[in-house]
Amino acid sequence: MAKNKQASSKKSGWFARFVHGGGNQLADDMLGKDATAADVEVIVSPMRQVFNNFMERKLAVGAFALLIVMFLIMFIGPLFMPKYKDSYTEVTQQSMAPNMRLMSVPKELQGDIKMIDGYGSFSVGLSNAGKVYVWGSTQIGTTGVDIGVIPEEVQNAKIAMVAAGIDHIVAIGEDGKVYCWGANTLGQYGTQAEAEAAGKAPNPNIAYFPQELADNGVDVANVKKLTCGYQASAILMNDGTLYLWGNKLTYANMDLFLAAGKVYDIDFTLNYIVGLNNKRTSIYTGSRDLYNTVRENVGSAGKKISEYLNGRKIDAITATNSSVCLLLDDGSICFSGDFPLDATKAPELAADEDYVQIVGGSYHYSGLTNKGNVYSWGSNALDQTEVPDDVTGAEKLYTGSFQTYAVDANDALLDKWGLKGYLFGTDNRGADIFQRIINGGKMTMTVGAVAVIISSIIGILVGCISGYFGGKVDVFLMRVAEIFSAIPFLPFAMILSAVMSHMVLSETMRIFIIMCILGVLTWPGLARLVRGQVLLARESEYVTAAKSMGVKENVIAFKHILPNVMSVILVTLMLDFGTCMLTESSLSYLGFGVAYPRPTWGNMLNGANNETIINAYWWQWVFTSIFLAVTTICINIVGDALRDVLDPKASVEK
Amino acid sequence: MGKYVIKRIGYMCVVLVILSFIMFMIYSLVPANRAYTDAKAEYTALKNAIPKGKADEYFNEIYLKYQRMYGTDTNNKVVRYLRWVGLYPLYDGTYDGLLQGNLGYSYDYKKPVVQVVAQPMKNTIKINIFATILALGITIPLGIHCAVKRGSRFDQAIQVLTIIGYSLPTFLIAILFIWIFCSKLHIFPPSGMKTPGSNFTGWRRFKDEMYYMALPLIAMTFCSLGGMTRYVRASMIEALSMDCIRTARAKGLREKVVIYSHAWRNALIPIVTLVVGWFLGIFSGSLVFESIFAWNGMGRVMITALRSADYDVVLLMQMFYVGMSLLGTLVIDIVYGLVDPRVRVNK
Repeated sequence: MAKNKQASSKKSGWFARFVHGGGNQLADDMLGKDATAADVEVIVSPMRQVFNNFMERKLAVGAFALLIVMFLIMFIGPLFMPKYKDSYTEVTQQSMAPNMRLMSVPKELQGDIKMIDGYGSFSVGLSNAGKVYVWGSTQIGTTGVDIGVIPEEVQNAKIAMVAAGIDHIVAIGEDGKVYCWGANTLGQYGTQAEAEAAGKAPNPNIAYFPQELADNGVDVANVKKLTCGYQASAILMNDGTLYLWGNKLTYANMDLFLAAGKVYDIDFTLNYIVGLNNKRTSIYTGSRDLYNTVRENVGSAGKKISEYLNGRKIDAITATNSSVCLLLDDGSICFSGDFPLDATKAPELAADEDYVQIVGGSYHYSGLTNKGNVYSWGSNALDQTEVPDDVTGAEKLYTGSFQTYAVDANDALLDKWGLKGYLFGTDNRGADIFQRIINGGKMTMTVGAVAVIISSIIGILVGCISGYFGGKVDVFLMRVAEIFSAIPFLPFAMILSAVMSHMVLSETMRIFIIMCILGVLTWPGLARLVRGQVLLARESEYVTAAKSMGVKENVIAFKHILPNVMSVILVTLMLDFGTCMLTESSLSYLGFGVAYPRPTWGNMLNGANNETIINAYWWQWVFTSIFLAVTTICINIVGDALRDVLDPKASVEK
Repeated sequence: MGKYVIKRIGYMCVVLVILSFIMFMIYSLVPANRAYTDAKAEYTALKNAIPKGKADEYFNEIYLKYQRMYGTDTNNKVVRYLRWVGLYPLYDGTYDGLLQGNLGYSYDYKKPVVQVVAQPMKNTIKINIFATILALGITIPLGIHCAVKRGSRFDQAIQVLTIIGYSLPTFLIAILFIWIFCSKLHIFPPSGMKTPGSNFTGWRRFKDEMYYMALPLIAMTFCSLGGMTRYVRASMIEALSMDCIRTARAKGLREKVVIYSHAWRNALIPIVTLVVGWFLGIFSGSLVFESIFAWNGMGRVMITALRSADYDVVLLMQMFYVGMSLLGTLVIDIVYGLVDPRVRVNK
């Protein structure tokens, strides 16, 4: 207490008195140094009184605390998300429900893994006992299909192999029967005969499930590889025979593969089927020049594939969404295709260390060497390549789209790393809603704050000048204010921003102009309030005193009167801040505010404009709405409480 | 009073002119050249018929024709503005602007703007009037009750609820209502104005329309509850603390008479301001509702027009909103005088 007193008595100027009040100084002067705490408390500054009154309102204090927490999250949170990018999109992760179990291998499977596969939002696993497990985000879009519901015949059968596509799963039983389930919108499974039986006309864009597989099954012992792509699947036999079916629109070169006959290896990128020819010397896609340049590592210079191989043979190919990794017969690897900008390089191996297995997710590779070391590289946007330090003794690697699972010699799960899931789900572009909420909050609050600052500068200036000087100045300024308040807010702001969208402006400039629009359209209210307050204060005695002492007029207006009307202004600013945030949200919601890819809470709700999405993808609006609502409600509760406690009349009545 | 009203109307006209000028200038910033687009289209269509070597000349001729038609054959923006208003002659000396009844031509609908806007305007006004009646019917009794029973549990609960109500953006409330009433409870249709493909008449048609209007109406009403209830409560509390109320109570008047006759008349003055202002506010507020509920109203027309840069529609719409808002202030001033005798004396 004593320290505080000293500190405050040293401060001078109107601001210190405004915040701390003159009470403490006064108490010191009156009572000298013998004053006890109890005596000093008797004299309470108006501000202290306001503070005490405010603290009595539990709801307002709670709201204030919550508001501070919100601010801290929004402004500090982005610092913890260095990998966040506004324009991040991921086609395989669109509209996923909140789920943190993308990497949660079921307990029963953990000690007994035969294989794991994943392409999109879920992973499928197979135990040595032949049982299939599915985990991750298993609801497929608005179709109502839950891929986690495994068909009874699959549950009863002993399964030998599984693979997962973006929205379907293919399994091969020990008896050679091929099972498929999941979404079946574009030929993920089902023969042409079945489709015709169901009354559908044959679709030229679909390569139907081969009839001979449906009739005779497949010779399980000779299956070399079962793999799935976006909406397509392939079974490769040891003799090079290929069974291929699925959506031709995604894989334009599917027809070429159907006609090509035998290949040595096959995999799917996002847009192409890539095959390894039987000579094991080049990659076949059907398109010339695609994937015929290889590079030694991510980002190094490319060479012609024949030149690079120089007699060596390719053992296996592994595809991610946009690139292919080639494992050569000397244990080295090389790459072909494009990498995301943030992709890391594959590690340099010691001379006697060779890769024995390469697996690929959507944008990352994991490699296992003959010494049992495990490495991951490629894009790390979703923590795919963060290999734990203590992975030793791995025998096999499996990947989901953004996960890697390491399995030891006893088929038990050794370790796993990668994407755990999305706390608030993903939006219709596949971006993490949680990250966008935090970064969008920053933007929303900044827009609101800057708009309020602009409006308060204009409002206070105009109000003070108009109230203090009166006369013609007053009439003119108030007429101007009236013109501005005659402008209907939302339509006008929309028009301005629409006009702006026809001009060549940088995004930052556009956002700044939106802030200005909001600020310029909201000042008249504040100006009138300040004017009224100044008119009251102008007649008070201390102003008369200042005048008689010869203080300059503008000094009186801004240094004597303004501080005394400050409290009212602050409350209005607080409430205006809430209003500006709401207006920005409405504008952005309608598509006339801050535009994608910059997130704000308003434009994040942009997609929730019809009943189907509102119902099926509830997480795309619920969480954002909660943040927006909590913030504005808190601002209004605090502002309301402040207005009540600052108004002496209201506090007497209470 | 009459003199005062005339003065206000005169002032209103000045503001309207200033705003229309500002608005027109803002539009002229848009780098759209309708005459050029049309001329190009006609030129392309006629291309084969044009003799060689005269292409440029021919195009310029067509271009000038369209420029003259749209009144853009000058770069002077003030002249263009005056032509739009109808105070400056076109190239052939005729006047064709707002004052002559030419409210513009919608480029998108290929119809005069008046025809484009007529039906949506009716729809908007219809739903807004219903919403006003509903909102007033709920908020005024509720506000009075809260003011009279001030500090009670009920009052406190309403205070918290209303603060939440007016803190939420309108589109959020609409989304929430769609989710609850359409997706979860399946009571109302999520959007539209009538059963698709239906051709009802009479009573059935009215019922069908009401069924489709119900949800937007409920959402709009709900949005206004928060702010209005608080306002009514505040002005009622103010009125109840006046000396005349104490006197009335001291006289032994019944509490009902005190509240509804003495206090309410006094509380009415600020409320009138609010009601008129609010009625205008819902015109721009319905921008949001109409776009969410696919309600064929003015807001929807305006948003579509903005997206497709159909600026004659937008310009007229904007003038309508400005006009409504100015008219509103005038109405407030006049009604003020009607409900508050003191104002009449002063003016």
